[in-house]
Amino acid sequence: MSQALSSEKPFQISISSFDLTLLRQKLELVRLAHEVDNAGWDYGVPLSEIKRLTAYWKDTFLPKWHEHEAKLNEDLGPQFTRDIEVDGGFGKINVHYVHRKSAVVDAVPLLFVHGWPGSVLEVKKILPLLVEESPDYPSFHVVAISLPGYGFSEAPQRKGFEAVQLAEVCNKLMLSLGYTEYVTQGGDVGSLVTRKIAQIYGPKHSKAWHTNSPIGEPPHPIKRPLLLLSHLLFSYSPSEKAGLERTMQFQKQGSGYFAQQSTQPQTLGYSLDDSPVGLLAWIYEKLVNWSDGYSWTDDEVLTWISVYWFSKSGPAASTRIYYELAQAYPEGIFSGVQTPIPVGHSYFPQDIFVVPRRWIRAANPTLVFESDHESGGHFAAHERPEELVSDLRKMFGKGGPCYGVVPGKTGYVVDVIKFGGRD
Amino acid sequence: MSDTEAPFRISIPDDELESLKQKLALTRFPDELEDAGRDYGAPLADIQRLTNHWKDTYLSKWREHEAKLNEDFPQFTRDIEVDGFGTLNIHYVHKKSTVVDAVPLLFVHGWPGSFLEARKILPLLVEDSPEHPSFHVVVVSLPGYGFSEAPKKKGFGVPQYAEIGHKLMLALGYNEYVTQGGDWGSLITRKIAQVYGPKHSKAWHTNTPIGEAPHPTRRPWLLLSYLLFTLSPKEKAGLERTKWFQEKGIGYFKEQSTQPQTLGYSLADSPVGLLGWIYEKLVNWTDEYPWTDDEVLTWISIYWFSRAGPAASVRIYYEVSNQSPEGFARNIETPIPLGHSYFPKELAVLPRSWIKASNPTLVFESEHEGGGHFAAHERPEGLVSDLRKMFGKGGPAFGVVPGKTGYVWLLMLPLEVYVDRLSQVLRIDSSWDSC
Repeated sequence: MSQALSSEKPFQISISSFDLTLLRQKLELVRLAHEVDNAGWDYGVPLSEIKRLTAYWKDTFLPKWHEHEAKLNEDLGPQFTRDIEVDGGFGKINVHYVHRKSAVVDAVPLLFVHGWPGSVLEVKKILPLLVEESPDYPSFHVVAISLPGYGFSEAPQRKGFEAVQLAEVCNKLMLSLGYTEYVTQGGDVGSLVTRKIAQIYGPKHSKAWHTNSPIGEPPHPIKRPLLLLSHLLFSYSPSEKAGLERTMQFQKQGSGYFAQQSTQPQTLGYSLDDSPVGLLAWIYEKLVNWSDGYSWTDDEVLTWISVYWFSKSGPAASTRIYYELAQAYPEGIFSGVQTPIPVGHSYFPQDIFVVPRRWIRAANPTLVFESDHESGGHFAAHERPEELVSDLRKMFGKGGPCYGVVPGKTGYVVDVIKFGGRD
Repeated sequence: MSDTEAPFRISIPDDELESLKQKLALTRFPDELEDAGRDYGAPLADIQRLTNHWKDTYLSKWREHEAKLNEDFPQFTRDIEVDGFGTLNIHYVHKKSTVVDAVPLLFVHGWPGSFLEARKILPLLVEDSPEHPSFHVVVVSLPGYGFSEAPKKKGFGVPQYAEIGHKLMLALGYNEYVTQGGDWGSLITRKIAQVYGPKHSKAWHTNTPIGEAPHPTRRPWLLLSYLLFTLSPKEKAGLERTKWFQEKGIGYFKEQSTQPQTLGYSLADSPVGLLGWIYEKLVNWTDEYPWTDDEVLTWISIYWFSRAGPAASVRIYYEVSNQSPEGFARNIETPIPLGHSYFPKELAVLPRSWIKASNPTLVFESEHEGGGHFAAHERPEGLVSDLRKMFGKGGPAFGVVPGKTGYVWLLMLPLEVYVDRLSQVLRIDSSWDSC
């Protein structure tokens, strides 16, 4: 896409007074669900939490929305939208994104891809760290996309828009910004999308990818016989066992949303689009259960929910990807994980899917970087921004396994003259 | 035990009607994909039409709908003590037949059902005729549904629901009774049969029959694909339907059995959210039933205006799943006679051999050409006809409640008829003994 014909427009979040009024009116009419005694978190989000957040939303957060909005625009700036044509009859989709360049001219172009119930908001804390200039670590030009159906991007109108289409949108976005070669970072759905980008557009465009949601297939007598043998012969470490426990708990207790969104997203969608408190509960449960004791402030939570409530296509649209993935990959999303380009992993112990290291390594033959963390959960960029950025700096920095993977864009100021040939 | 029975009439306060009206006026609809049909869930066109009808027409006529409900259902409330859970105020329908010795029958609904499901079968069941038995009918609103209180403590499971049903019957003077149940009502009436039968519960009938798979395995469908060669076309179709439900229809079940409170905030706060959540099942679980908009909205209204709120109704999934981690098809035998009605669009339609193997006291079976999950609502004549056959003269459960055969005591009829009928009854009684 040539720059001259680009449809890029600068963008600022600016919620209309109509939308603000509607939300206020709905919050004033909230009818809360009752709860059994001593429910705690067993049955879902506790009533006391929802009561507090809903009252705060109505009485304090919403009246100050313009302040929050201004802060968001400042934290996420600069933002843009542009049209991206998607193959297969999907037509043009107007996509919203953050594009912040480093002062370092040859910074590494990096695409950050969020998941569900995330959004472009997740890049907020790592953005300034990634673009920061230093002789000690690489810098990045950061593009953070709102996936179609999320944030301020349009949603697809036709059936079948799955990971392949999301990858296409992402790749075309990077190309349109002049980044013919780039690297990616993704978690949750973003991990699936960046994996797909690696498989389809790597190594030509995507040169390396990093994820904080690493996966691998379990041992299998036919598909992975050696892994099965190792599984039977060599025991797992305490932390691996704890991870498997956590994974099984998630499957058993925490995957109701997954089953619903993969099968009847429209049915659920009527609630999410119509009820702010319904949407709040649906997402807040994951913010708490999937993170590692992260101390969410009410403002943080409500800003996060607001991106969904005020999203261009409405919250229901965000859940459809689960349905499309279930249709496109009936065998599941844990097979066919290999990519032709280097991959780096960050392991956070309180993520929702934590499986033994040997399963992950067996599934990812191009794994070149691993980093273990003592704490942290699913929303790594939000919970552990310094740690995540530190991992990216190690992976892509001098001496790292992916240093210079984007030719000519090492992430450092060209320093031969400046530092007297120390390089 | 002091009698706390009080007559009850549905009478929704004006402010609740007003609040619903205001919410409906503020409805924000999602978009929908082109040609989505029913693939992604309840279709937008249906939900929009229903919401507009609710807002513009149905709600303003609510008092008429309410009056009709009160006319069709003689309702009461009373306190029932449940071991370990204190007293719950329970709402129920109690309609007696003019036949003094009618068979006492407890009807138990499920989710997303309610006492409303008995609306069409009620007049048929109590009807007096020499050709078929009559019933005194009790329709309980399960705790957390309709106008019954919800349990306040954790752990209220199938045994507790069974206790409520049983104690209600005793309180009404029905020391011995029979039951009919579908969905949760099936599990609950089965528990009643196991715990209170044969002393109190004498026979039970369900339209949600189940049985255990012969060889449990982690890949049942793989196994079944081999078995398909030995199944009839109807049975194959039934398994297809069962598979569809397990793969595409089970999302609500997974959410409700793990995070019911999270879901509950949506159901309590959003009328259109509640409508979408339930309407999808009303359509997918029935056999092309031609729902009218008023029918649907009355059904949803029972949930919206329920005493404990809609969120309470889904907790049963959590409680029962936690108490039965091995699933619902184990330990299903009962010590009393059982009757089944088979409807082809039920959600679990299993091979007859599996069902029979798991239910040794099965004495009555009836197969239907059409009909789905909400049998009493979709096929009221069919269901009642089955109950009449099962409990009527010549039926396998005739006279199962001693002295309550369901027929008029015959002294009122001409002598010849009396003699004729008496000899018939004597013949039937002796054949029952030889069963």
